[in-house]
Parts: sequence; C-alpha cells; structure tokens
Amino acid sequence: MILVENVVKLFGRFKAVDNVSLSVAPGEIHGFLGPNGAGKTTMIRMIAGLLKPTSGRIMINDQDLARDPIAAKRSLGVIPDRPFLYEKLTAGEFLTFCGGLFGVDEENGLEPRIAELLDLFDLTAWRDELIESFSHGMRQRLTMCSAFLHRPRAVVVDEPMVGLDPRGAQLVKQVFRNMGRKGVALLMSTHTLEVAQEVCDRVSIIHEGRIIACGTVPELRALAHSSEQLLTPIFLKLTGGTGLREIEDVV
Amino acid sequence: MRHTFAYLLRPLALAARNRIARREHGDSLRALAFSGVGLVVALAIFAIVFWLTWQLLEYEDLGEYLVRLGLSWLFLTFLSFLAFSSLVVSLSTFFLSEDLWFLLAAPLPVRQVFHARFARALGQASWMVVAFVLPVLLAVGLARCAGATYYLAILAALLPFVVIPVALGTAVTLLIVKTFPARRARDILVLAGLFFAAALVVFVRYLRPERLVAVESLPDVTAFFSSLDNPVTPLLPSFWAGETLFAALKGHVDWLHMGALWTSACAAVVLLRIAFERHYFSAWSKAQEARKARFSRLSLLARLLRLTPLGLLPRNLLIKDVKLFLRDAAQWSQLLLLMALAFVYLYSFRVLDPGRIPLAGDMVRSAYAFLNLALAAFVLAAVAVRFVFPAVSAEGNAFWLVRTAPVRLSSFLWSKFWTGLVPILLLAETLTIISNNFLHADPFLKIVACLAIAAMSFALVGLAAGMGAIYPRFRAENVAQIAGSYGGLAFMVVAVLFILCEIGLLAWPTSMYLWHQYRGLAMAPAQRLTSTIAFGLALLLCAAVFWVPMQRGVRALEALDG
Repeated sequence: MILVENVVKLFGRFKAVDNVSLSVAPGEIHGFLGPNGAGKTTMIRMIAGLLKPTSGRIMINDQDLARDPIAAKRSLGVIPDRPFLYEKLTAGEFLTFCGGLFGVDEENGLEPRIAELLDLFDLTAWRDELIESFSHGMRQRLTMCSAFLHRPRAVVVDEPMVGLDPRGAQLVKQVFRNMGRKGVALLMSTHTLEVAQEVCDRVSIIHEGRIIACGTVPELRALAHSSEQLLTPIFLKLTGGTGLREIEDVV
Repeated sequence: MRHTFAYLLRPLALAARNRIARREHGDSLRALAFSGVGLVVALAIFAIVFWLTWQLLEYEDLGEYLVRLGLSWLFLTFLSFLAFSSLVVSLSTFFLSEDLWFLLAAPLPVRQVFHARFARALGQASWMVVAFVLPVLLAVGLARCAGATYYLAILAALLPFVVIPVALGTAVTLLIVKTFPARRARDILVLAGLFFAAALVVFVRYLRPERLVAVESLPDVTAFFSSLDNPVTPLLPSFWAGETLFAALKGHVDWLHMGALWTSACAAVVLLRIAFERHYFSAWSKAQEARKARFSRLSLLARLLRLTPLGLLPRNLLIKDVKLFLRDAAQWSQLLLLMALAFVYLYSFRVLDPGRIPLAGDMVRSAYAFLNLALAAFVLAAVAVRFVFPAVSAEGNAFWLVRTAPVRLSSFLWSKFWTGLVPILLLAETLTIISNNFLHADPFLKIVACLAIAAMSFALVGLAAGMGAIYPRFRAENVAQIAGSYGGLAFMVVAVLFILCEIGLLAWPTSMYLWHQYRGLAMAPAQRLTSTIAFGLALLLCAAVFWVPMQRGVRALEALDG
C-alpha cells in the first residue's frame, strides 16, 4: 500500500505540496487529478523517492521511504511522465539491466518475465532494436515493462496514457485493472478524466498543493453538488472554474 | 540484486558496444580521423620530450634538476586541470545526468551509486590527462633508459594522482549544490573553469618561454627557472607523483611519496563517500528544485536588438539566439577563453621583434604578415566550427517550430549567417589590423590582409552555416558534440584546404608586387594581369565557398524528413 501523511514540499518559499495525506490500499487504483502546476508530479516524485519532502512521511508497503528507502523502493514500480531510457541499449538489454537493479536475475526467471512483458506490451519484435528508434508510445510501453518487471506491490504512474494509441491505452487500462485485482496498490496521476473515471476506484483532486476532494466519483459528485455523470464538469467545478467564458472573446 | 557498483556501469559498456556494432554514416571516418590526429599529437609529444630529456643528459646535475622540476611541473599543471575539470564533470555526473532519476528510483544503496558515478567521473575527467601524460612519461623513461621499476611506478602513481583532485572537485561540487541551485551551481563551475583556463593561457604566455632561445637573455634563464620553482610545494600530490617517478627513474622506490599518494587517495574516497551517504539525496533533491532557474530578462538588450534594421523574422531569430546564448553560461563563457586567446595572439605579435632576427627586413615582416593572415583565418575557422556550425543543430527539438511556421528556410539560414558573420568579422578585422600594426607591415599588405580577411570571414561563416545545415545534429546533448560531429570535422577539413588555397592565391601576386616595390621596379603588364587574375581567383574562391554551401544548406533543410 501507499501511505502519505502530512507531506509538505517547499521550493524556496513556494509551497508546491501543502500538508497532503492520502492512502492507497492494496488492490486499489487511486486517481490523482489536478490542474497544471497543482503539485501532482511533485507528489509522485516524492513517493518515487526522487524528491525529498520538506516534512511529512511516506510509507510504501509498510516501509518508511525516508528511513529505509531501499526496502521501500524494492516493492515499488515507477512510471514517470517523461521517462529516461538508455538510447543506445536495445529493449532487451535495458530490461535485463533493470532486472539486475531490482534483484531479478536468470535464477529468478528473468528471461521468461522479460519475454512475457514484451509480449504483453506488443514489443517482442523490437526486443533487439535500439531504444533510440522507438516512438513515444513504444517508450512508454517499455517503461511499463521495466516498472512491472519485479512484480511490484505498489505502483506510481505519472500520466500513463500520453502518447499511447487507443489500443495501447486500452491495454494499459486492462493491465492496471488486473494488477488491482491481484492486490497491487496503484496511484495514477492523470489529466485524462475519462480514464480516471473508467479505471479508478477512488480519486483525489489536488489544487494549489492541497487535496481538496477525495472519494469515489459519486462521492465527488455529491461534494460538488453536481448532478453531472461525467467527472470533467465535477473536476472543473471543484477546481474553481475554467476561464471558459473568456474563450469566446479570445478565439 | 547486483551489489557491485560495476553493474551500474553496464549500460555504458553495452552502449559503447552497440555504437561500434551499429555505426552511423561517417562514424568510422570520424573515429579514424580523430585517432589519427591523436596518434600524431602523441607521437609529436613523445618525440619532443624524448629529444629534450636526451639533451639534458649532457648536463648531469643541472639535467637531473631540470627533469625533476619538469616532472613536478607537469603533475602540478595536470593536478589543477583535473581539479577544475572534475568540478564540471561531477556536477553533470552526480546531479544533472538524465539517468539519475532511474537509478535513484531503484532500490540501490547510495554507496553503490556513489562508487559507480565516481568511477565514471574519474574516467571522464582524467582520460585526456592520462592520454597526454603517458607519452611524456614514456619518453622520459626511454630517454633515460629506465628500468621496469619506472614503468610500474607510472601505473602505481597515476591512479592515486588522478583520484585525489577528482575527489576534491567532487566534494566541492557537493558543497556548492547543497548551497546553490544546481543550474546556478553549473554556471558558477563553468565560469570558474573558464576563468582558470583563460588565466592559465595568459600565465603561460607571460612566462615568455621564447626568452630561453634568445642567446642574449642567458642570464635570465636562472631567474626563469627560479620563478618555476616556487609553486612546487611538497604538500601537493603533484610533488609526490613527481618525486615517486623521479626516484623510479633511478631504479629506486620512493615509498614515502608513493605511500602519501595512496593513503591520501584512499582517505579522499572514503571521506567523500561518507559525505555522499549523508548529503547526496538532499543535494540531489535540491538540484531538482532548481529547474526553473531565474535569470535576467535581458530586456534592454532585446530593445536594442529591435532597433537593428532587420526584417521581423531575422530580428526575432537574432533576439532569441542572443538571449539563449547569454543565458547559457556554458556558451557565453567560451567568449572568455576566446578573449584570452585573442589577447595571447596579439601579445605574441607585440613581443615579436623581427628586427632582432639576423637579415630580417621587410621581406621577413611581409612573410610574418602572411603567416598572420593564415593564423587569423585558422582562428576564424575554429571559432566558426564552435559558434556558427552548430547554429542550425542548436535549434534541437524546437526546430519543428521553424519548420511549421510560414517561414522560408532560406530566410532562417541566412539569419543564422548574419548573426554569425558580424562578431566573426569584427574579431577577424581586429586581430588582423592590430597584429599587422604591431608588425609594422607594408601599407599595401595591410590593405590586402584587411580585405582578404573580410572576404574569408564571409566564406568561412557561409561554409559553417551551410555545412551545419547539411549535417545537422538536432539530438546532440551539447554544442561541443555538434562541433565534434562528422559534419564539424568535414567543415574543418574543407576550411583548412580553403585557407591554404586562398593564402597561396594571395601570396604570389602580393610578393611579386612587394618585390618590385622594394627594388623600385615597375611591374610588367603581363605580371599585372596575372596578379589581377590571382586576386580575382581568390575573391571568386571566397564567393564560391560562401555561396555554394549556403545554397546546399537551404536545400538540405528543405529536404529534411521527420
């Protein structure tokens, strides 16, 4: 599970994340929504162990990320929005290297696992190609292979659908649902509200660094005093308007 | 989990293997050319040092003293070079590399990451020093007929010698990143490094080593060497390395200084590792926070540039290029080095006294003036490959903006040309006019040089801009990588050939004119005609070298796919 308690992140004097608490239970897919610059990526990076919180505590599967980062990261999978991949490695070499980082080697069935994931994400034919020749969507799918290679029990994902074609997006949604059924806690930051509505069990909305709403879609609807079925109008209402009225003047 | 730091270096090895296995167009040629140049330089260094050391054998005690002093100075120079280069290298290796997020998100102990990154920083910061120092040390050993002890001592002394300054530089980087935002820290380090390089160039020039070859300055030699003796302090690793090798040269093992090197190197690494284990994550986290570095808006400069009589597109491109250039310390700080080199160049002409050379008269002065013209053109080619050639590639991933805008690519390339031409022309004319004045060159020659360098500036800038468009590297990580690419190398080859042809075409009619002038003779009509033809051909060559690559560059940009 993923547990975030009273986390604050200051960039100089700017408070990017302001006393955020949230929990993602095993088997739960939790959507993390918010307007641009609300603090989603900062939060995701802190959970991934890439940024140090100014204060607060983050637990990954009962391991304190600050006290024992190695134990915490061992059971965590991270899918960033703009992943770094070694351009001059092939997909197979990259995944083998990732396996080594997470303690998965030949004795632990690394080869069949790589083959299985490449097959799942439609990359088997590209196994021996250099990553530099991959499209954005293929890179995204390869990053997912690397994140799931060690069978993590918690996963944080930043914008999983960017660059994916409809088939890829459908596949990813299916993979996430399956992982949820198998007890993986999944925290997913996204701007694609339809995806959040379709996949997530619960949703947190962050705005100006604070969680302003958290619950299932019906709960959010009630909170926003809205009768809309779709998440988009609820989101817009909760995050304080859209500036839509200006569109006619500008365009 | 693989608990050896070497595992983290695996992607480097695999990437290198894949690069070799899947070479791109021109890679082999470039590798061959670079290794050829490297080999020639190494052989030249070897030959010079061998000859010098051989000569010093004649002077017994003085020779011994000079070899010892030379070794200490060699290591002192490299010590300071290593310390400064490790500052910049460790900043990118430990804090700015893009693969760090990937490694830090993995369950790896900081110690393991530290060892892997330190090994990488060590290699990156020291390979050039080692490549340079090895032929020197081998030459000294062979000239002195040293035994196996000496060669083993080289191996044993070099490793701790490079580890100490790199560890020190890395520690300073950690401290700076903890104190300043990473982007600002990079600016500070790049600037410090460039100041150091510029100061080193000026300092070496101020030593005026040419005094050593002047017979009348023999009494100065003692003073010269005593001035070299001062900075060689027994507390520096350079001294320990020098002493270790000097002892080994005589077949002894200097355990004291060797021990000092190894204990210091081990202590430096252990202390640095402790510091990293305590402070690295918070420093790295801070480095992430500083992505949006604040910088000046340069609004005054933009307002000034808006006054230039240019069209909307070239003016906006100019403003954008100038702002990007001035906001990137790695770019504009190169100007410091350039200024230092220009200063040394002009100073060398200032101290050059052709009158002291026997039988030196106006002809020698004229020869010097032509040499000056060729040198200035080579400087221009070097500046152009660094600043103009990468202009198109430097658009990088943002080039789609230009390609999708309703803008003719010819206008784009021409604006790059003019942006490059103005500063280069100014530099060229300054160098040529001032140095020719220092030389007291013939007025006719001054005019020829002044016009020739202007025409050559047009040609070299056109060649650089055009070839930069023909061989773009939009995915290069930095400008140095673009300049060192296959296209950059091809530009330098064409530029050197052009300069040699141009100097040849100009030298012949000019020398004929001056020869007649000194003898008070009139040139025959046929000679006048052939001189005019030679000058005309020189001008035509400049025009061709300027125009053809620009046209081909525009066509290459228009034909770009993807």
